Amino acid sequence: MAQSNPPFMSGVPELLLLRLLDQSEMYGYELVRSIRKATGEAISLGEGVIYPVLHGLERNGSLKSRRKAVAGRTRVYYSLTGKGRQRLEKLQSDWRRIQGGICNALEAPSHA
Amino acid sequence: MPEFNQLRRELLRSGIAPRHVRRTIDELQDHHEDLVEQELADGASRADALASAGDRLGQVSDIALAVKAQPELRSWAFRFPRIAALVYPITFVALLPAAPVFLGYAHASYIVRWAACLLLSAVVTAGMFLFLQLAITLS
Repeated sequence: MAQSNPPFMSGVPELLLLRLLDQSEMYGYELVRSIRKATGEAISLGEGVIYPVLHGLERNGSLKSRRKAVAGRTRVYYSLTGKGRQRLEKLQSDWRRIQGGICNALEAPSHA
Repeated sequence: MPEFNQLRRELLRSGIAPRHVRRTIDELQDHHEDLVEQELADGASRADALASAGDRLGQVSDIALAVKAQPELRSWAFRFPRIAALVYPITFVALLPAAPVFLGYAHASYIVRWAACLLLSAVVTAGMFLFLQLAITLS
């Protein structure tokens, strides 16, 4: 069973999907494999949950999709829009700020 | 095998737009198929491949929660229930008089055949009357 930690996962799938789709267009299964590879399998999602995130991002204009026939099957390929690129930049800067803050807190001497 | 029908029912009940439900289920089924193919290619038995693919795809309840967490995927009637309560009855009343036209359009091929038969029978009847008239006139 795919393990996840929902309280810590909020916003992470969105950031990863936008980041990967910034590099090339992909379909759902391909995206999940890329997330596993890119994160060294440190982040393991229930794979089905990426579709609502993809559809939500498409609905708010961050992604666009197109159907493409590959090897006798029709795949839905997703790619980033200009709005999605802006959203990615914002999420990346937010994430780096939070990451920096957490690193500082972890490295600071503990107060007894 | 994940319970896609159960997921479909749950999503529709919670107000997700039917087109988003259809699309989500289609993509999940494709994804499941890809996972099974991958497991089989890695040497798993059919039963193990199906079990593993189901586990990797995740629980239906988790997927349903993830879909419901996207308010923009809800049908507009669920997002704006007061407007829907106003617009639906007005639209229905406005469209009711046009129902026969729509029904006629939907059954256009039958109506065309019926009209053609009627025309043919009128031509045959007129021909018979003409023949009788000519017969009377010439006799």
